[in-house]
Amino acid sequence: MQASRSLDGVDRFRVVESSEGRSSPDFYRPDRFYDEMFAADGSVRSHYAALHARVASLTPAELAERQRTLEQSFLLQGITFTVYGAENTTERIIPTDLLPRIIPSQEWSRIEAGLIQRVRALNAFLADIYGEQKILADGVVPRELVLGAPSYRREMRGLYVPHNTYVNVCGSDLIRDDKGEFAVLEDNLRVPSGVSYMLANRDAAKRTFPGTYRAAGVRPVERYPDLLLATLKSLAAEWRPNPQVVVMTPGVYNSAYYEHAYLARLMGTPLVEGRDLVVHENLVYMRTTEGLRRVDVIYRRVDDDFIDPLTFRRDSGLGVAGLFNAYRAGNVVIANAPGTGVADDKAVYAYVPEIIRYYLSEDAILPNIETFLCREPAQLSYVLANLDKLVVKAVGASGGYGMLVGPHATQAERDDFADRLKADPCNYIAQPTIQLSTAPCLVDGAIEARHVDLRPFVLAGQKIVVTPGALTRVALKRGSLVVNSSQGGGSKDTWVLAEGDHA
Amino acid sequence: MMLARVADSLYWIGRYVERAEHLCRISDVMLTATLDDSEAAATVAHIAMAAMEDREDLAPGQLPMDAVRSLLFDREDLSSVVNSLARARENARQVRDQITTEIWERLNMLYLRITHPNAEYEFSQASTAYLHGVIADLHLFKGSTDSTMSHGQGWRFLLLGVHLERAQRIARLLDVCFGDPSAPEALTEHLAQMAVLRMACALEPYLRVYTAEINPLFVLQFLLFDEDFPRSIRFSTSRIEDYLDRLAPHASVQNRAGPERLAGRLKARLEFADLDETLAPGAILSGVVAECSRIHDAIYETFIDYPLEQRLHA
Repeated sequence: MQASRSLDGVDRFRVVESSEGRSSPDFYRPDRFYDEMFAADGSVRSHYAALHARVASLTPAELAERQRTLEQSFLLQGITFTVYGAENTTERIIPTDLLPRIIPSQEWSRIEAGLIQRVRALNAFLADIYGEQKILADGVVPRELVLGAPSYRREMRGLYVPHNTYVNVCGSDLIRDDKGEFAVLEDNLRVPSGVSYMLANRDAAKRTFPGTYRAAGVRPVERYPDLLLATLKSLAAEWRPNPQVVVMTPGVYNSAYYEHAYLARLMGTPLVEGRDLVVHENLVYMRTTEGLRRVDVIYRRVDDDFIDPLTFRRDSGLGVAGLFNAYRAGNVVIANAPGTGVADDKAVYAYVPEIIRYYLSEDAILPNIETFLCREPAQLSYVLANLDKLVVKAVGASGGYGMLVGPHATQAERDDFADRLKADPCNYIAQPTIQLSTAPCLVDGAIEARHVDLRPFVLAGQKIVVTPGALTRVALKRGSLVVNSSQGGGSKDTWVLAEGDHA
Repeated sequence: MMLARVADSLYWIGRYVERAEHLCRISDVMLTATLDDSEAAATVAHIAMAAMEDREDLAPGQLPMDAVRSLLFDREDLSSVVNSLARARENARQVRDQITTEIWERLNMLYLRITHPNAEYEFSQASTAYLHGVIADLHLFKGSTDSTMSHGQGWRFLLLGVHLERAQRIARLLDVCFGDPSAPEALTEHLAQMAVLRMACALEPYLRVYTAEINPLFVLQFLLFDEDFPRSIRFSTSRIEDYLDRLAPHASVQNRAGPERLAGRLKARLEFADLDETLAPGAILSGVVAECSRIHDAIYETFIDYPLEQRLHA
């Protein structure tokens, strides 16, 4: 079995002998984009100095070896997603990059404060629009924009939600604007994923750069699973002394299944599928070997549409019939609450700074990306006049559908899109082409700049906690701005440095 | 407390892993035995193919090597080793939160190896070494199950699968050899007797009890009744009874023909059977196979696929 021995854990930590006359990897020069490691004059930013020095001391072959070891360990752990083909089905690992992205403590404090503020405001917004609707009455956010959104769930009107936290798990996407300041690109308030990659990447980075890691004073992320469990338990604490929490997954064929199982395992809670649950007289049970067991909190990783065929999509086989009625009766908590999607709608997004001001009387700490609402006539005419500079997105769609990237489109495509805009302006928003920052990545033995974003994870129950770390998503193709894993994106570890003299 | 679906998956992991090991071992013995061109070799090949259920005898001119290759690698063949391992792993993936990382990695590695593009080439280069490698990896899997997983409910379901599969497979093997006393080829050759012991991984333990004096009756007796040998049917049935005994009090409904009762009956039958009875072993062997299926059904009715109305507000 010699040929496949590398699959075994045994030689996973093999140290590569350094060769005589060693060469250092080539670094790149920063481009016109903000770079995480190099300042504009080409000097290394101080918080990256140690990593830069360490990487420069390794030969390209050693770096490649470490990258290979890392990928092998992901494969062995089963951190993979499945690619279904006509002929055969293969599993691929999520591409992952060796070199951590580093965020100094002052910068993180601002991100942390900004995210806490944002989640507080968005939860207040959700409680309001599913309650008294003051913000709509006051005309701060247009009524039809909220009530007309497909993600607005009328079923949620007037329901009790513990601590008024509709969003318990949030994974907002941040990017750096052209000045290098962090801004929010998108709020993910439905079933955000990626946290397991944050933890797996950290595990790998610790093994790849142990010395640099120790010296840098990196803040730990490993508490995420128990903080998540505490958050979930806090949602039922008022009526059940030791609530039974479960993670609900669509099943093994879901692309994020690894993460669902990972979180369940690390929290020590059952991982259930819809078919494991039964609702009887508005109580939710799971089928165990010992009979039926009551369930109190469901951390669901199934979309709203699919959780209950009696209330939402009738053709869903992933959910549980009667679950929503049990929820309405207050016998079970569903996290995140159904209907949170309306607050991360692309059009509502434009109003988030207003929403923060309305509920908290504060200015937004993290700015939005400038967004033009085509529903407003003045903004529509600006958009139509500048189609070649803007990215236009359909409000309801996601994943790159119904989207025009102005600078890359032909005149004919732009004309065609302009007609669609005029026909249905409410359905579109426009943003300037975004400028993602770049970070050093290992590509074929050389260090090259690739565009990255940042997805930190926020937990909100009785209190709001931001895990000091994040998933940094990487666009692995040179020049590409697309970081989605479905479209050739990868990820890397993110080091948030502790305060002190480390940075 | 454990989800019924999880218990189901763990049980099947046990069955598939045991099945894969058994198939590899029988294949290995057959490949080695058929190196000689003798009457005994033909008997061994016949026994091997018949012991693997729903398989035809080797066709005239068919090489044992080719039969084994397809047994190992054929994805079309539902009972091939690669499919058994794939299903064991698929079940493990579905209960990834319930098994330890060590267990998962062993199984995942086995699967990655046997599905590796080089696997068939490796096998054709050194078939015995390859089969030994797979068996050794399966032992590592079982070892990490034993030493990293809590020996609670989940572990018991997994081992229930292992031992039910094992009891049925060994019973099947013995039935082929001894079930029909009128069949003339029944184990007269020394080489064939040794081969059967090897197929049950029993040669060395047997020698320690009966010395090198190998005779068919002793072989049968050892594989049926030995108390300590982990692949004797008696050993497996006693494990099955033990696991079910410990699981049963947890099931809130005691149904009368519960699996623990069936298992106790089977165990007692084997304990008090004596040599005279084994002179007509066909009945006892088919009895074992049938009782194992009944236990399997009862496990489903009691723990996994029970009717809901039975369990609501009992």
